[in-house]
Amino acid sequence: MGLMIETNENLNDGRVAEVAAGWFVRLQGEVATADDWLAFELWLQASSEHAQAYERLEGLWIDLEYASLAKDLEGRPITAARQRPGHRRASRAVRRRVWMGAISAIAASVAVAVGVGVWSAGIATQTYQTPAGRTQDITLADGTRIQMNAASKITVSLGRDARRVQMADAEAVFDVTHDARRPFLISVGDQQVRVVGTEFNLRHRADLVDLTVRRGVVEVRPANALDATPRRVAVGQELTHSTGDRSSFLRVSDPDQVFAWTHGQLIYRDQPLLDVAADLSRRFATPVRTADAQAAALRFSGVLVTDNEPDVLRRLEAFAPVRVERVGAEIILHHR
Amino acid sequence: MDLVRFFTLRLRSPAAAEDLVQDIYLRLSGLAPSIEIQNLTAYLYRLGSNLMLDRLRGERRSANRDGAWLDSETTRVGSQEISAEPSAETAIAARQRLALLTEALKELSPQTQRVFRMHKFAGLSHPEVAAAIGISRSAVEKHMMIALKHLLARLP
Repeated sequence: MGLMIETNENLNDGRVAEVAAGWFVRLQGEVATADDWLAFELWLQASSEHAQAYERLEGLWIDLEYASLAKDLEGRPITAARQRPGHRRASRAVRRRVWMGAISAIAASVAVAVGVGVWSAGIATQTYQTPAGRTQDITLADGTRIQMNAASKITVSLGRDARRVQMADAEAVFDVTHDARRPFLISVGDQQVRVVGTEFNLRHRADLVDLTVRRGVVEVRPANALDATPRRVAVGQELTHSTGDRSSFLRVSDPDQVFAWTHGQLIYRDQPLLDVAADLSRRFATPVRTADAQAAALRFSGVLVTDNEPDVLRRLEAFAPVRVERVGAEIILHHR
Repeated sequence: MDLVRFFTLRLRSPAAAEDLVQDIYLRLSGLAPSIEIQNLTAYLYRLGSNLMLDRLRGERRSANRDGAWLDSETTRVGSQEISAEPSAETAIAARQRLALLTEALKELSPQTQRVFRMHKFAGLSHPEVAAAIGISRSAVEKHMMIALKHLLARLP
């Protein structure tokens, strides 16, 4: 049977393919207007060849996903979680200079609550930990607010010269009070963040650090190169860093999407189901996982209100080609 | 705007178009009211087009066992049924197609590859790609067009 475009020896084939590619790109660009769509409709109508060229592109677009799942162009495997650096991970802002003298300390300290706010004595260390399904708001002695997402662990030390946080596997929003004499320093993965009074979401899951700033500016640098020029992350920007990588990735971000968890929402824009499952596992007590690579790579867009797990899963089934299966103490998402 | 007319054209079936438009509104009702959508009409077209792509994905996937592709020439974007068991020849053709695509991607200029990879495989939007590598949005579109055109030309 073959596509018609193949049987058509018309010399215009190349031209049609070009126009089809132009439409495909433009309509994906999020700037397309209603008029563009109307013009596109007219173009489709003009010739069945046009529609076929466009369908061929769509087929190509999907076939490419198999290519991307196999390996990326540099031959490095891409995991679903990695396909969209962007959404949520953590990073660290560093402010530099001041700290150069006073590093050390915290790195390996996972000491448990000695008492908070005793800064005349040097360093008091407190560890905070939330289980899956529970978030927690903390106000530190200096007035800094930390909203911890579920399944997170951080260690806080309020010292005389610096306020330090060690971020293990965690996600949290920091609203840091300004104190020029005591910089607020966060160690996260192989990066360090320095803050002077700003609000941002910091996420550290698996080997990914992701920082999104809602107010002010945050600086980030590698923990082993504190004299390096820091990356500055400003309002509305998001920095993603993969532990071990030499570079970080800065992009425009939507803080509302990233901060959504603080008011009981998860927002996704064309993200793999793998990410959704990981988020739900942290949000609720029952672990959620994807059945296989196909389910994991499924793209999801939408808002999930995370009121309770059964309702969330029902909504997920309604809005995505997903079937939910309960097996023992876990929930498995299948592609359907 | 007439979504049903548009998707009838695309799907070649009024019934399939109505079904899809239903789906669009179902999705829309799932969005939180706080989410502001600029240019609702264009958004609906895009949502529907993405749903079509999702369906096509599903069709290819269910037709695709053992990692073999269904040859695209037997796939239709519309409502046609697809045989579930790819033949051995189809599986071989699918593998050849994948190899060809991978090769064709490597033939692109480094910058075009980079743009294409960021958008298609890393999932960044055009403005995000533009911001990340410091080129204009229309330059991103140009690179994407060059890449798609090249890939189309290289495929049989």
